[in-house]
Amino acid sequence: MTEATAPERSALPLTPGLTAALLTLLVGALCLLLQPYAPWLIAYPAGWTLPATEWVGGGLETILNTIKPTVRWFSWAISFPMSWANWVLAGAPWALVIGTITAIGWHLGGWRMALLGLVGFGFVLLSGYWRESMNTLSLVVVSVPLAMLLGGAIGLLANEVPRLRNPLQVALDAMQTVPTFAYLTPLLLLFGFGPVVGLVASAIYAAPPMARNVMLGLERVEPEVKEAGIMSGATRLQQLMLVEIPAAGRQIMVGVNQCLMAALSMVIIAAVIGGFDDIGWEVLLTMRKAQFGQALLAGLVIVTFAIVIDRMSARLALERERFDPRVSWALFGVGVATAAVLALTGTATPPDGIFAGAADAVDQTLGTFTAANGTALDAIKNGAMFYGLLPLRIGLDEAVLPFTWGFQWTQSMSLWLFAAGALAAMAATLTGRAMTGVHVLIGVGILETGVANLPWPFVLVAAAALAWSSVGPRFAVVTVLLLGTILVSGLWERALLSLYLSGSAVAACALVGGALGLLAAVSKPAWAILRPLCDMLQTIPLFVFLIPVLMFFQIGEFSAFLAICAYAIVPMIRYTREGLVTTPPEMLEAATASGATRAQIMWDVRLPYAAPTVLLGLNQTILYAFAMLVIAALIGTTGLGQSIYLALGQADVGLGVSAGAAMAILAFIADRLVQGFAEDRRRVLGLS
Amino acid sequence: MQDGPALAVEDLWQVFGADAASVFKSVHAERASASATAEALKAKGLIPAVRGVSFDVAPGELFVVMGLSGSGKSTLIRSISRLVEPTSGRILLEGEDILAANTRRMTELRRSTIGMVFQHFGLFPHMTVIDNVAFPLKVGGMSRAERHAKARPILEMVGLTGRDDAYPRELSGGQRQRVGIARSLAGDCSVWFLDEPFSALDPLIRRQLQDEFLDIRKRLNTTIVFITHDIAEALKLADRIAIMRDGEIVQIGTPAEIVLKPVDDYVRDFARDVARGRHAKVGSVMRADTGGIGPDDPGLTPEMTLEDALASCMTLYEPVPVRDASGTLLGVVHPGDLAAALQADSA
Repeated sequence: MTEATAPERSALPLTPGLTAALLTLLVGALCLLLQPYAPWLIAYPAGWTLPATEWVGGGLETILNTIKPTVRWFSWAISFPMSWANWVLAGAPWALVIGTITAIGWHLGGWRMALLGLVGFGFVLLSGYWRESMNTLSLVVVSVPLAMLLGGAIGLLANEVPRLRNPLQVALDAMQTVPTFAYLTPLLLLFGFGPVVGLVASAIYAAPPMARNVMLGLERVEPEVKEAGIMSGATRLQQLMLVEIPAAGRQIMVGVNQCLMAALSMVIIAAVIGGFDDIGWEVLLTMRKAQFGQALLAGLVIVTFAIVIDRMSARLALERERFDPRVSWALFGVGVATAAVLALTGTATPPDGIFAGAADAVDQTLGTFTAANGTALDAIKNGAMFYGLLPLRIGLDEAVLPFTWGFQWTQSMSLWLFAAGALAAMAATLTGRAMTGVHVLIGVGILETGVANLPWPFVLVAAAALAWSSVGPRFAVVTVLLLGTILVSGLWERALLSLYLSGSAVAACALVGGALGLLAAVSKPAWAILRPLCDMLQTIPLFVFLIPVLMFFQIGEFSAFLAICAYAIVPMIRYTREGLVTTPPEMLEAATASGATRAQIMWDVRLPYAAPTVLLGLNQTILYAFAMLVIAALIGTTGLGQSIYLALGQADVGLGVSAGAAMAILAFIADRLVQGFAEDRRRVLGLS
Repeated sequence: MQDGPALAVEDLWQVFGADAASVFKSVHAERASASATAEALKAKGLIPAVRGVSFDVAPGELFVVMGLSGSGKSTLIRSISRLVEPTSGRILLEGEDILAANTRRMTELRRSTIGMVFQHFGLFPHMTVIDNVAFPLKVGGMSRAERHAKARPILEMVGLTGRDDAYPRELSGGQRQRVGIARSLAGDCSVWFLDEPFSALDPLIRRQLQDEFLDIRKRLNTTIVFITHDIAEALKLADRIAIMRDGEIVQIGTPAEIVLKPVDDYVRDFARDVARGRHAKVGSVMRADTGGIGPDDPGLTPEMTLEDALASCMTLYEPVPVRDASGTLLGVVHPGDLAAALQADSA
């Protein structure tokens, strides 16, 4: 990936990238050699750390306590619309709610959307979770307008005051990369237990997509349209209200859609705080009791919600057909009439779930299945752990034991491994690919040591080297400073563990997702199957991914790994396919006319052209993996995610925020690195 | 209309880049010529897009600014309409210095005095045709019924009736630009800016709209600044043409002057591909003395194009008289001069 500059064929051209790689290699080798004499190279001594988490905690608590009265007032004010929404949604007869949703569905998208609304909410009713669902929905209903106001205001501000644009962008990045759990802790301290925390958290979490889309939409309004507004003699306010905002309408509606989905996702995550009888809580509860049938059912209710809300609000951003409003009113009327009849006959309470039996049956079947196939499942899990994850984590020298691998790793094996690596590197260098050679050696070193045991000087130098060749010297300094902060704050060990788990998940996603994307690009039927799957996986709130992996593999690192992969693989598939299928037709025709075979076209034309897009997909996959890492802490991971989750339980603001910040730092660096490489490829291809 | 030009532009500069205004001020004070200033600005990493441009447009005149892409003509019209803030210079609109006008006055001028048409139409995608046209009236505070009543005849004038409730996306390119033209006229403007209004259209539609544009112009008698990159369009429409290159005006003149007396190779290159016989008039090669008139009188007038004149003197070798409509003798033309004017530097 580091071949920023085209490899030249002279003896050993010392390009900046190669210099950086060699330097990294040198530092790594030195650390390994000096390890016996200076153990502090591997494990950063506790004595060298600063009590940063305590400082952060102390400082934040002071600030939080100062603003607490104001915030409590806000909390009091917001509790009114919330209780009203809750009263309306949970108090309204179910027939009325379903009738209204169906009517809205018709208005937005005709009979398809009406049917989706009817079936979706019908399922929710029959699941027996009606009350919990309406509690969740009322949180979404109140938090989304808040998020839209907040996001819209930020977007407008950035648009009107160009000087604020960059700082606001950074703030938005932070709001989205700081893991969701991390800001639950300070919010908990501010608002106390209760649904307001979930409400505010979801408003904060859902505002950035709104803001981004408002900014993007306004920016993308054709310059001549803006100029026409000015030349028509509109004042600035008139320009905004009558021309620019309406012209940006579709993009803003995309923002509304993303805002809704983010709010729903966060409302469900916030259930871990408890105190509110919503559907997310139900999932948690049943999961803790290992009632997987019920957890799955509640999870399906969430998925249904997500799909109905997503598909309906996505219609907002499309060119609107007009559907007969009389049908909407009729559907609404049917709802009212049904509700009235039910009320008169005294059967207005939502029915008990008819799927309870099915859920029990699933639970039983599952029990029998896991009991029967326990050995096979364990074999999968252990195989992946012992031969894949563990060596990556603690290195071959510690992971290879007689108990698992059948033999003990010895010093001489290490030497042989390094010798083989050196030979391969030599061969690569002699054939003019010095960069590959150095990468192979570094890879061998990491495999031998394990990510969690990497010497910290090596990690710093490697990150700086990557930052240098991807973005530039300034970013290398920034990278070292940021990572240094993690190092001295005593979170280093946990950060490496997080890096290892997300890194291995990203690597798995890149391989499998890349292959699937390739398949989807060349085969239409494959894409026809993969596409709805991807849509589905992207709509499901993070939380729900935990249920199926828990069902089969219990609590543990492997389950977390699987959950992360399931969520993070989607962008890799999508972007790989996207990059491959958008090769300009003339380029393909030119290649065919030059006599290239299909395989040659794929390898020499389409893949290089797709590289920047694939890299962006990788970038998204990394961010998704980090987002999921924290959620996966619920089912047993070590590292920063676990710290954040523990901090939430202990209301430890310092630890929660510091660990959250450390996580955000890792995500930020990874994001910029990959984007830098993607930008580089785009420049080489003349695309930017 | 008052005496003097409807629009006067004096030493207008548009410089882009960091801190352009103050750098320009210091650089311009030390240097005498526009090109020296421009070079100094470029050396400091700034982009001088419009370089000391001056011209007058008489009331009712159709003034065309012609140049290739990157010559600064679009920036020029954006500076004059203050869509971008000029770095330096003076712009007098009907005697008023509009660079001194505050935002409110500028808004007022745009509602009442200035109309503008854009290359890619700049229609509001979320409004119907009639709402697009009535938009300048709406922001001016006119009621819905009133502004629609006012917009309808304008739509009729541009040949677009019965599409009032269509959205821009449902229209063809030609129809869209008719809407753009109608909108720019809704405010009863007296100064009309058109930024390559027909460049995005097919050749046939373009010619049709050019003809309709000339019709509208005759009826309204507004002062017009028209930007184009198409020399044929410039020659067809213009009263006077300004040729721009690298942000400077190279030559200002009537179509015949541009064709027959280009000031340099750059302008000559433009005129090369043009059938000059169709644009130059007999008047431009006529001699005022009346000596040596031959026996034949093919009936030439000063407004006749060279092409037509040559066609009627194909077989003549002696000077022929040129008369005005009433038959008064104005001068003579030697048929050889006609041919020579067409031949001149076309090699």
